[in-house]
Amino acid sequence: MITFTFNGQELSGVEGQSVAAALIANEERITRLTRHEEKARGLFCGIGVCYDCLITIDGQKNLRSCITLLQQGMVIEVQHGN
Amino acid sequence: MEIKYQVIVVGAGPAGLNAAKYAANAGLQVGLLDSSTKLGGQYWRHSADELLNQEVHHDFDRGSLLMDAVRANSRITIHSACSIWSASVIDEEIILRSAGTTFRTNRLILATGAYDRSLPFPGWDIPGVMTAGAAQSLLKGQGVIAGTKIVIAGTGPFLLPVAAGIAIRGGNVVGVVEAASKYRWLGGTIALLRNPAKAIEGLGYLFTLRRSKVPIRYRQAVVAAHAGASGVLESVTIANIDSDFAVHSTYSLPCDVAAVSWGFTPDTSLAGALFLKQKVATDGSVVVAVDEQQRTSHSHKGVQIFAAGEVTGIGGSDLALVEGAIAGLAAAGSKKNLKPLLSLRRRAQAFATTLEKIHPIPSGWKGWLTPETIICRCEEVNYGALVSSQAELAVTDARSAKLMTRCGMGLCQGRTCSRTLFDLLGSGQEDRINGTFRPIISPITLGELAQDGLL
Amino acid sequence: MAEPQGFDAVVIGAGVVGTSTALALVNAGLKVLIVDRGNVAQGTTSAGEGNILVSDKEPGAELELALRSRDAWFEVSEDIGGGFELEAKGGIVVARSEAGVKNLRTLGRAQRSSGIAVQDISTTELRQLEPHLSPTITEGAFYPQDAQCQPMLAAAQMMRTVKNRGGEFIGGATVTALEIRNGAVTAVETSKGKFNAPLVINATGTWAGQIAELAGSHLPIAPRRGFILVTAPTRQIIFHKVYDAEYVANVSSDDSDLQSSAVVEGTQNGTILIGASRERVGFKEGIDFPVLSILARQAIELFPILAGIQLLRVYRGFRPYAPDHLPVIGEDARIKGLWHNAGHEGAGIGLAPASAELIRDGILERGSFMNPTPFSPKRFALEGSA
Repeated sequence: MITFTFNGQELSGVEGQSVAAALIANEERITRLTRHEEKARGLFCGIGVCYDCLITIDGQKNLRSCITLLQQGMVIEVQHGN
Repeated sequence: MEIKYQVIVVGAGPAGLNAAKYAANAGLQVGLLDSSTKLGGQYWRHSADELLNQEVHHDFDRGSLLMDAVRANSRITIHSACSIWSASVIDEEIILRSAGTTFRTNRLILATGAYDRSLPFPGWDIPGVMTAGAAQSLLKGQGVIAGTKIVIAGTGPFLLPVAAGIAIRGGNVVGVVEAASKYRWLGGTIALLRNPAKAIEGLGYLFTLRRSKVPIRYRQAVVAAHAGASGVLESVTIANIDSDFAVHSTYSLPCDVAAVSWGFTPDTSLAGALFLKQKVATDGSVVVAVDEQQRTSHSHKGVQIFAAGEVTGIGGSDLALVEGAIAGLAAAGSKKNLKPLLSLRRRAQAFATTLEKIHPIPSGWKGWLTPETIICRCEEVNYGALVSSQAELAVTDARSAKLMTRCGMGLCQGRTCSRTLFDLLGSGQEDRINGTFRPIISPITLGELAQDGLL
Repeated sequence: MAEPQGFDAVVIGAGVVGTSTALALVNAGLKVLIVDRGNVAQGTTSAGEGNILVSDKEPGAELELALRSRDAWFEVSEDIGGGFELEAKGGIVVARSEAGVKNLRTLGRAQRSSGIAVQDISTTELRQLEPHLSPTITEGAFYPQDAQCQPMLAAAQMMRTVKNRGGEFIGGATVTALEIRNGAVTAVETSKGKFNAPLVINATGTWAGQIAELAGSHLPIAPRRGFILVTAPTRQIIFHKVYDAEYVANVSSDDSDLQSSAVVEGTQNGTILIGASRERVGFKEGIDFPVLSILARQAIELFPILAGIQLLRVYRGFRPYAPDHLPVIGEDARIKGLWHNAGHEGAGIGLAPASAELIRDGILERGSFMNPTPFSPKRFALEGSA
């Protein structure tokens, strides 16, 4: 089992999971707010093609949560804009 | 770092894996590149959980055997997590650049596959709406069920396996909504008779869904999605549609996931960067043109480029496998008798053609759009902005639409919206083919680009 | 179907220069037709950064043109209702070598006497204006008059206004011939019909020489290839247009080899544009990755933070230039009624509205804001044919 934080809240996931899968398993679907209209977005294509599931991890922005592997201790936040 | 191979295969799905295996067995040193960390592409997306793989993949054995064979083959070197950002032919050599490594060869096999084709509709950008491929990838690759009330919608052979896979794992599929007619297979009986295994597979999915009491509706489509107070999907509007996709009556269905599949779009960006001849297939997608031996337009004495699998036309894993085999043998200059493979390819192609024919996607979906419907997700360009740019800013084609509205200028580099844009603008064949050209195939950091020149 | 007729002027070219010219003429009461072999902004306009600069010009005719044009852009924006991201963001020129600093200060002094606002700035002010600038850069100059716009939108918005004011546009019309009678132009023949007019303005940029040939005239305008790197959208990192003082030398260089120096700026949609390369390689197809690599490296030298930013796309354009690096604006040396407005090299966007004013004032036979003689096409006729 892996623990990580999402928007300050501690959650748990499974070794080998993507960040998006771990969040969805925890019923968290919103990974970012768009830069113009601040609309909520999340996983869409699931295979790294659409760039909609972008999220901020350990301060780094624009990571595709569907292809980024979850790691112990990650500090994950909903991304604002790009 | 620079690495040279006798043949490079880009893409490790069914086509690429088989191409690599056949080329290696014919004696070539093969470099197999894939952007994912795992082999298998989209079709054989799998997780470390063996039990899961067995449960949800109907033919994982076949995929598993092939992946093992490729891993074990000493002539094949696998480069995972390798994204090619530029490709060019210089002085009779093909140069492929990835971050940190430049690959060189004079024989290339493109097997870059395809990704879900999405059609826009009001609310399709709400978290919870996803492609069927996304729901599939969560299930097969991660062992995660996408939600607690899942609607599977769209058209095509992909809907049933996705729904059945989730149902087998205990997921709550509240409906399968197929746009085509329930009796569409009447137009494909010969294909079914010629491909009994496929028929049995299909019946298997239907039985699974019946056993799980999943309602399957035909001539219906999700035409709008609605968010709840928390901003995520809460319900969808499903319409009874006719064969033109025009909406007749509607009803609402509560759900937290709507996994939608409208077929697939080949990823021909590498082919475009190499200026290979492309054409528009019968389903409207841009595909790489190949001859009987899977040879592209760029094949003469020095440099030979082949293409196999979905990138030459959407056709499923059986077709991809046999095309990969033919390409691998052709790349190796093998004199092996191709007749059995050609026969297999003909049969698989015929089945794929039938599938496409009985799941048409007419243009009536345009009638589902409102001015607020997002067309370009990355740049947040809505349908209203596109229409007014046509009226006011002389936008007539995809190129001018991009320049004036930024549609297609975002991070996904138009992969999600280009095909929709072509359809909305009524783009001709030439515009569709030219519009897929991207010299930068996938994003690369400026730092990596700066380093590249020093290699 | 009968072609529309009754035009006072036909403008060939629907890029930023052509649409600016049409707008100026329509505002002067002329009935104008614009024709283009493609759509609006299909040529060099769509490969431009949107530069509206006074900073990169040495005192002389072009600087005078640039100074007027910069103000004219804001008047045009007011007139047509904006809609093309025009921004008086200001430009910062940095110099990194001792010789570079010296040249920068000398140029600044000369520009000041020509009416350009330029402030010599050093470390503290540089950091205030551009917090992410490399700490190794200590000397620069700030030009508050430098501005930027989105060039494709500018051309499209001007086109929209031209049409609203009675002008017409026919796209997909390739010009095949110019009808000349008794040494004066009388019509333009295109793939979509023949249009009679006593005035024809050649605003075809890099292809202006080809159009001039149709009238038997010689305009030595050649392509100078340039690439622009476009990054993924990011939070605002760069606040002004920032470029290396080397840029000025590159513009006026006659060297056919690659000339490149860093030009970096943000845009309203969040992307960062990086230039600038200049090569005389004809209309060479394809993308030369080593050039892109150099552009990336130079940009990172100015802004190290850019190393982690993603490149998303590349624009390639062919700047139209004349051997003396001045634009060609004025009536043809031999053919009455044929006017040229082309050859603006890398400054086409910046110089467009003022160039249009020179054409308008020339046609109306009245004085303009400056003497247009330095730009006259007649300067090539004196040389004889090449």
